[in-house]
Amino acid sequence: MKLEVAAVGKDYLIPVIDSVSFAAEAGDFVCLLGPNGCGKTTLLRIVGGIEPATRGRVTLDGHAVIADQRHVRKVGVVFQEDRLLPWMTLRDNVGLVLTPLGLAAAERAATADRYLKLAGLGGFEDYYPGRVSGGMRQRAAIARALAIEPDLLLMDEPFGALDAQNRRIMQTEVRRIWRQTGRTIVFVTHSIEEAVAIGTTLVMLSARPSRVRELIKNDGHVERAKLVDDLNTMIMEEVERQQGAGPGA
Amino acid sequence: MIVAAWWLLSLRYGAYVLPSPVAVVSGLRDIVTSGEIWKHTAASLARIAVGFGGAVVVALLLGLVAFLSRLARGVVHDVLAVLNSTSVFVWIVISIIWFGLSNWAPIFTTFMITLPVVASNIVEGVASVDRRLLEMGDVYHLSGRRKFTAIVVPSTLPYLVAGMKVGFGLALKVSVVAEIFGVTSGIGYVMNYSREILATQMVFVWALVMIAVMTVTDKLVFDTVSRRLTRWRA
Ligand SMILES: Nc1ncnc2c1ncn2[C@@H]1O[C@H](COP(=O)(O)OP(=O)(O)O)[C@@H](O)[C@H]1O
Ligand SMILES: [Mg+2]
Repeated sequence: MKLEVAAVGKDYLIPVIDSVSFAAEAGDFVCLLGPNGCGKTTLLRIVGGIEPATRGRVTLDGHAVIADQRHVRKVGVVFQEDRLLPWMTLRDNVGLVLTPLGLAAAERAATADRYLKLAGLGGFEDYYPGRVSGGMRQRAAIARALAIEPDLLLMDEPFGALDAQNRRIMQTEVRRIWRQTGRTIVFVTHSIEEAVAIGTTLVMLSARPSRVRELIKNDGHVERAKLVDDLNTMIMEEVERQQGAGPGA
Repeated sequence: MIVAAWWLLSLRYGAYVLPSPVAVVSGLRDIVTSGEIWKHTAASLARIAVGFGGAVVVALLLGLVAFLSRLARGVVHDVLAVLNSTSVFVWIVISIIWFGLSNWAPIFTTFMITLPVVASNIVEGVASVDRRLLEMGDVYHLSGRRKFTAIVVPSTLPYLVAGMKVGFGLALKVSVVAEIFGVTSGIGYVMNYSREILATQMVFVWALVMIAVMTVTDKLVFDTVSRRLTRWRA
């Protein structure tokens, strides 16, 4: 699966994304970085076909992604919040998204159990979301996204609500799941340490209206500590630039 | 304590104004043994079942309309606001004009009074459905019907049950008042009849029956249902 983001831009009342381009090959783990409010969530929503772009285009294996239209490729999304249905067990939450795929009920349950187990939730299939921890809910949301066997997996700061320790555990888990399933992932984060720890391609966005400030292959050629330092310097500059521009400018 | 005070006061004011607890208990025993208690309670409940049941059905349809169209939601909201501010007496008079002195008068009155209560709860429930969950449904290509049954209905159910709980209590109070006119059965009828024949103790007996019906349905039906529905709550 090849993802191409070509000169994508978005204006709301103000221009949010000026023009962003990058590409991801099958099995890439792309991390989108940038200061708060620079349009990372917006970009992810455009890539997922949830929101239309003002300019540019997104293609998956050459097929254009058009908002509100069912696309040819399957895309799984993990939102910033878990967005589980509180009145359904974890198994039913995962099984629900399998209904459009035409699976029988027993198959749905079996698939749901398989992915819950992969996400480290074996034994919790019959729990309601309200009865498990925030980290486990987020794992269930990841299991749900993986269960449709997506060609592309989009994750928007999925660990934002977790404490530092759980965050580290989840990073390792996602990395393991990624290796195990070979999915193409686009992962939004504002944590540089997180991006450097898990991404293979790092896309650093500039202040709003955003462009790609730096595109880095995280393949071990650059020392991690130095990479973190460099990126930290960059993000500080962008945060300052965004604040200098003022809100709404 | 309360019973003792009641007894003392009844001695002071006489059986016509305030019958003694003893008279009320023996009156209660009489209607239980004669079976009158079941006859009149059943008659009232049957009217409530039709009037209130109809209101719930119509309220559900209004909720569906409000879900499907934002414009309709506004219209429904305004209509309910008007209905909500109409007095019971208005509907009693109108229903007697329209349906004469018949069963339909208390049924219609119950319907008109409970409809806005149940419907505004449902409409509020429909409006409060978490948009982010619906968006999740879109992302995973759930069909409109699936989104309705898996997301909209479960989010609205607690509102429906709350509305029905209030609505049922109201239905009981309202239908009893409407039964004073033109029907020859039901708790309201028999209370008014007891007053006319100066059997004040029976007015008290039937008031107790009414309280019992209300408490039993509340505890047994609505509380059980809402506990069932929110089983998933942490
Ligand atoms: N639906 C919308 N309508 C108007 N402005 C929006 C909307 N969504 C996002 N924005 C604005 O776009 C900017 C980028 O938001 P977002 O993509 O959420 O940033 P990030 O995820 O990088 O923090 C913010 O200034 C936000 O206020
Ligand atoms: Mg965001």
